[in-house]
Amino acid sequence: VTPAKHMDDREKGAPPTLRVLAGGVTPARREEDALVAAFLVGDDDAFGELVRRNEPLVLAIVRRYARTPEDARDLAQRTFLRAFEAARRSLRRAPRKDAIPFRRWLVRVAVNLAKNHLRDESRFAKAPLESLGAAESAPPAAAEALLHAERAARMRREVLRLPRRQREVLTLRLDTELPFAEIALALGITENAAKVTFHHASRRLRERLSEETP
Amino acid sequence: VNPCPEFDLAISLRSAGALEPDEARRLEAHLATCAACRAEAARADEVALLAKLPPVDDLERRAVRDLSTRTVEALHASERRAGLGKRVVAGVLAAAAAAVVVLAPAVLHKGPAAPAPSAVEAANGAEATWESPDLDVLWEDAQVVDFDSTSAESASDGTSAAVAAIDF
Repeated sequence: VTPAKHMDDREKGAPPTLRVLAGGVTPARREEDALVAAFLVGDDDAFGELVRRNEPLVLAIVRRYARTPEDARDLAQRTFLRAFEAARRSLRRAPRKDAIPFRRWLVRVAVNLAKNHLRDESRFAKAPLESLGAAESAPPAAAEALLHAERAARMRREVLRLPRRQREVLTLRLDTELPFAEIALALGITENAAKVTFHHASRRLRERLSEETP
Repeated sequence: VNPCPEFDLAISLRSAGALEPDEARRLEAHLATCAACRAEAARADEVALLAKLPPVDDLERRAVRDLSTRTVEALHASERRAGLGKRVVAGVLAAAAAAVVVLAPAVLHKGPAAPAPSAVEAANGAEATWESPDLDVLWEDAQVVDFDSTSAESASDGTSAAVAAIDF
C-alpha cells in the first residue's frame, strides 16, 4: 500500500475515492483542517492524530535520505514539528480558506529537510544505500538476487546524484506515488513542468544504466 | 537507437504509471510496432524498478513505532523552552522598565538643589585651595581702628598690633 493510498484507506476503511465537494474541498482535507484547527487551540490528541495519519507519507519521503531507521524517524519528527510551525504561522497570516493544506506543508518541509540532510552528510553516499541493499539481499541468498541488490544500490546512488529538482520530482513520484499535480503544488511548479522534469531524470538514469551495461 | 521523439515523454510517464488512459492506449499501440520505443520503454521500467526503495523491513517498523508519541513529547518540550524564553524576556523587559521609571526623572529634569556641603567638606575644599596669604596685602587691607590704643598696650611689640588687626 502506498503512503498516499494508505492515508485514504485509514480515513474511510475502504478503497480510496476522491469526492470533490463544493469549493473543491475533499472530506479528507476537511478532516485534516479540523484536526489542524484543534491542534492550534491546544488539542494534543488532534496533534497525535495528524502525525499518525501522515507518518507513512513523511517516512516514505525521508527514508531514502536516512542513514539508519532511527535517522529516518528523527527526520520525520523534525518534519512534523517544522510543518506544524509553518502551518501555525500560515494560518495566523492567511484566512483559513486560503491556507495551504497541511499535507502540502509536510511534503515541502520533508523535501527541504531531506535536501539539507543530503548536503550535510558527507558519508551519505555509502551508508543508506548499502544498508538498504543488504536488507534487500538478505532473504534469498541466490547470486541473481545479490546482483539485483547491487544494481539497485548503484541506481539509488545515481538518483541522489541527480540535479536537485529532478531528484525531488523523481523520488516523490517513486516513493510516495503522489499525483504529479500534487507534487507540482508542493514544489511550486506546474504539473507539466513536474512531468517533464521526471522525464529528464528518467532519461539521465537510463543513460547511467546504459553505461553500466553496454 | 533513439526512441521516437513524439513518444519520448510518454515512455517516461508510463514507467511512473502516470499516463492517462487514452495516452496509455496510444503508446501501447505504438510500442507494438516500434522496436526502438519498446526497448526504451523496457529500459525506463528497469530504471524505475531499480530506483525504487525496497519495502520497509522490521527494523524500520520498530524504529518508527513510537513516532507520534515522540513527536508530541518533542512539541511539548519545544513549547516549554519557548515559554521559558518568553518569561526570561518578559523579566528583563520588566527590570528595564523599572530602571527607566526610577532614573528618568533624574535624567530628563533638573533635580532639586544640591545640599550644602558639610563643614568637613568645606574644610577639605578650603585645604585644597589654600594659599599662603600675602602679609603686605593683608596689612594694607586691615582696618586698624584704634592703632594708637593698641600700640599703647603693647608698645614694645608691633607684631601684636598686626595680629589683632587680622583677628578683626
